[in-house]
Amino acid sequence: MEIDLDGIVIIVGNYGSGKTEVCINLAVNRKMAGLEVRIADLDLVNPYFRTREAKTRLAELGIEVVVPPKQYMQADLPILSPVVAGMIRQPSQLTLLDMGGNDVGVNVLAALGDALSGRKIHVLQVVNPFRPFTDTAEGCLKIRNEIEMASRLSISGIIGNANLIDETTVEDIYTGYDFVSGLSKESGLPLKFVTVAAELMPEIDIKHFTCPVLLIERQLVPPWKRSISLASKMK
Amino acid sequence: MGKILMKGNEAIGEAAIRAGCLNYFAYPITPQSEVAEYLSRRMPEVGGVFLQGESEVAVSYMLFGASACGARVFTTSSSPGISLMSEGISYIAGAQCPAVFVNIMRGGPGLGGILPSQADYFQATKGGGHGDYRLLVMAPASVQEAVEMVMLAFPLAEKYRNPVMLLGDGLIGQMMEPVEFPDHLKSEPTNKDEWATNGMDTRGSNKRNLVKTLFLDAGKLNEHNLMLKAKYDRMKREEIRYELYNIESDYKALIVSYGTMSRVCKTAIDNMKDEGLEVGMVRPQTLFPFPENAVYEAASKESCKVVVSIEMSMGQMVEDVERCVKGKLPVKWYGKCGGDVPTPEEVVEAVKSFL
Amino acid sequence: MGKTFAKPEALSDQHTHYCPGCTHGIIHRLVAEVIDELGIKGRTVGIAPVGCAVLAYNYFILDFQEAAHGRAPAMATGIKRVRPDLIVFTYQGDGDLASIGMGEIIHAANRGEKFTTIFVNNAVYGMTGGQMAPTTMPGQRTTTSPFGRNVKEVGMPIKMAELLSALETPGYITRQSVIKPKYIVRAKKAVKKAFQYQLEGRCFSLVEVISTCPTNWGLTPVQAVKWAEETMLPYYKLGEFKRPD
Ligand SMILES: Cc1ncc(C[n+]2csc(CCOP(=O)(O)OP(=O)(O)O)c2C)c(N)n1
Ligand code: SF4
Repeated sequence: MEIDLDGIVIIVGNYGSGKTEVCINLAVNRKMAGLEVRIADLDLVNPYFRTREAKTRLAELGIEVVVPPKQYMQADLPILSPVVAGMIRQPSQLTLLDMGGNDVGVNVLAALGDALSGRKIHVLQVVNPFRPFTDTAEGCLKIRNEIEMASRLSISGIIGNANLIDETTVEDIYTGYDFVSGLSKESGLPLKFVTVAAELMPEIDIKHFTCPVLLIERQLVPPWKRSISLASKMK
Repeated sequence: MGKILMKGNEAIGEAAIRAGCLNYFAYPITPQSEVAEYLSRRMPEVGGVFLQGESEVAVSYMLFGASACGARVFTTSSSPGISLMSEGISYIAGAQCPAVFVNIMRGGPGLGGILPSQADYFQATKGGGHGDYRLLVMAPASVQEAVEMVMLAFPLAEKYRNPVMLLGDGLIGQMMEPVEFPDHLKSEPTNKDEWATNGMDTRGSNKRNLVKTLFLDAGKLNEHNLMLKAKYDRMKREEIRYELYNIESDYKALIVSYGTMSRVCKTAIDNMKDEGLEVGMVRPQTLFPFPENAVYEAASKESCKVVVSIEMSMGQMVEDVERCVKGKLPVKWYGKCGGDVPTPEEVVEAVKSFL
Repeated sequence: MGKTFAKPEALSDQHTHYCPGCTHGIIHRLVAEVIDELGIKGRTVGIAPVGCAVLAYNYFILDFQEAAHGRAPAMATGIKRVRPDLIVFTYQGDGDLASIGMGEIIHAANRGEKFTTIFVNNAVYGMTGGQMAPTTMPGQRTTTSPFGRNVKEVGMPIKMAELLSALETPGYITRQSVIKPKYIVRAKKAVKKAFQYQLEGRCFSLVEVISTCPTNWGLTPVQAVKWAEETMLPYYKLGEFKRPD
C-alpha cells in the first residue's frame, strides 16, 4: 500500500513522539515516488535533534529543507523565518512542516495563521504509545485537543510511530499498531500509516496491517552511532 | 510497568519524583528547561511543589531553606545557572544540608552556547563556590543511568548531609532512550529531627535546632572544617563508582572518559579492536570521589604505554588522571569543547597519534 | 516624510533575526532614531541583555556590551561611574529585568544612576521558548504555567514602572507601547526624553514598552496586537509615572 499524501502536511504530536524522524523519512518516501518535496523545520522548542541536522543528506536527494539562517542554526533563539510563510503560500507538490512538540510547539502555527487560512492542509498527529502522556487513548486525545486549541487547526489523521528506538521488538510494533488502530476508531481519525524501522522490516508480516507502512531509516542519532544511509532506498 | 521512551531531562524529573522528592525549584535555561516543563505538569499530579524562582541565586536559597527544615529538594540548571547557584551551594554544604543539583552542561565560558560540553568539571569537583567543601559528583552516560543516579543521589545527600551533583552534558538531557524506573524509594530523610529546623512541635522537643555557617571562633571553624573533611574522606572510602571497558585485553592505551564522551570512546574502542588495536577504558561514574586506584591499577598494566583523558573540555579531568597515574606513564589529553562532540573516528586518530 | 522612513544611522541594514510581527525591531528603530537626532552616536554605549535581544549589537552600529542575564544595570553603573560623559542604555526583557535582574534594576534606579533603560515587556520569556515571566498575565498559558498563570501561587504580574516610581530618588519612569502607530509616536517622544534627562545628567530614566511575542503567544501578528491591547493595556496603564522635576 502506498502512502497517499500531497499538498501541505503538518506533522504534530506530543513532545518526543518522533515527528522529525517521521518527517525526514516521509519526505524521502514521497520524493522516491516522484513528488517534489520541501520541508520546513519549525521546531522552535527543541534545542537538539532537529530536521536541520539532516539538511545536507536531504539536499543530496533533492529535498529542500528550510531552516533558520545559518548563523542562528545552533542559537538558543526561537527564530521563525519569514521564508516559511512564503513557502506555504506557494507550496510544492508536498510541503512538510515539522513542528515542535505539544501545544507549545505548534503555537507558531497560530502565528502563521494568515498564510495557512483557506488552504487545504493535512494535520497529522504522530503517536508513540511508549512515550509518557500518550500511553493511553485518553492521553493522546488530550494532546490532540491541546494542539488543536493552540494551533487553531483540526487534526485530520494519525501516524503510528510505536518504538523504543534500538530496543524495539516486532511485538512492540504489533502492540503499537493495535493501540493506534483503537485510537483511530475511538477518535474517528483515519490511521494514515505506521512506521517500522528498516532493521526490523525483514521480521515484520506486512499483511498484519490494513494501512500503509513507512520505513524508518534513523537519521537523528547520537554521535557514537551511524545513521542509515537515506539513499539506500534508491539502490 | 515496562520500558518507556524518555528524554534525559524528563527522566531526571520523573526519577526525582520516584525518589520521593516532591519539591522542585528552578529557573529556565537551555538545554534543560524540559525538566521544569515536565515537572510543571507532573508535580501538581503528585501533590508536589513546583516553583519557578526569580533567578538561580534565589533558587539555590529556596533549596537551602527547604532542605534546612528537613524536606527533600532538588533543582536543575545548566552551566551559567550553576555558576549563580554556587554561592548557595557553599552555604548548603557548610550548613550540612542535603540537596540535589543537576547540571546539564553547555559550552562556556560566559554565555557560551547551548550545545553539549563537559567544561564544568573543575567547577563541580574542585570548587564553584568558596570555602573548603566538596560535592559528591556523579556523571551518567545514559538516560537509564541518569535515572538510577538521581534515585541514588537523594539517599547519598542525606547520608552525608551534603549536596550531591549530577553532572550531565547537554546530550544526556536532550537524547531519548528507553528507560525503566526502579520502584519508588521508600525512605524518608532520616535523623532530620536532630538537626533540621522543622519546628519544635513537629519533632516534639523543646530543644531548638540551628542551621548556620558562621563560626567566629577560629578553633571552632577549624573543627567544623575537620569534621567536613572527615565526611569527604569517608566518601572516598565508600562511594567511588566506575566502569571498566575492554580491561581484560592486553591494551596498548588506556582511555579515561565519562558521560556522553565515554560512549563515543566505546565505539572507538570497538572499532580499534576490529583493526587489531586493543584499548582499555576506565569510566568514572563518580567524579568526586574520583576512582583513583582504578585508574592507577589500569595504568599499571604491562602492555599499556599511554593514558589518554578524553573529555569535552580543554583538559580538566586530565589533571586528576595525571595525579592518579603518579608519573608511571605519559598522560595525554584529547578533547573538543564548544558543541561538536568528537566522533569515534577522531578518537581513534587521537589515540593512535599518542602511540 | 523621507526622513521618517530613512534608516537611522545608528542602525545597520542587516535583517534582524526577530520573528515576523515581533516589536523588538520597532523599538530598536526608535532608540536608533533618537540617538541620531541627539547626535550622540559616537559616545553611546548600549548593553544587550540575555533574551531575544541578545544579538541587538548586530543591528545597532554603536559600541555595545553583552551582559550576563539580568546584570545589565550593574554593568551600566560601572560605565557611568568611570565615564560619566558616555551615554549608556540597557535594553532588557521582562525576564531579564523583572525576574533575575530585579535587584540590579531597583538599586541602580535608587542610586539614581544616570543611564537609560529600555524595558521590553512582552509578558513571556521569548528566547528560551515561552516560559512564564513575572509580567505574564493572570491565566496566561506558558510552558511553565501550562494551566495558566495561577496568581494564588505566583502572585500578580509585576508593574515595573509603578514599582520603580515608588522610589524616593528622582527619576524619569514611563510606560509606552509600540503595538500601533498611534502609540509609537508617543513612545518615541518618551525615549527621547529619557535620553535627554541622561544627557543633562539629571537622573535615571526607564521606558517600559508594552510589546508582542506572536511566536510564543501562539497568535498571528494581528491577533497579538489585539491581545496586547485588550489584555495587557488595561492592566499595564500607559503614561508617565515619575519625573525628576
Ligand atoms: C544565569 C542564566 N540563567 C538562565 C539563562 C537562560 N535564559 C536566557 S534568556 C532567558 C529569558 C529571556 O526572557 P526576557 O528577558 O523576557 O526576554 P525576551 O526573550 O522575551 O525578549 C533565560 C531564562 C541564562 N542565559 N543565564
Ligand atoms: S520569540 Fe517573541 S520576542 Fe523573541 S523574536 Fe520572536 S516574537 Fe520576538
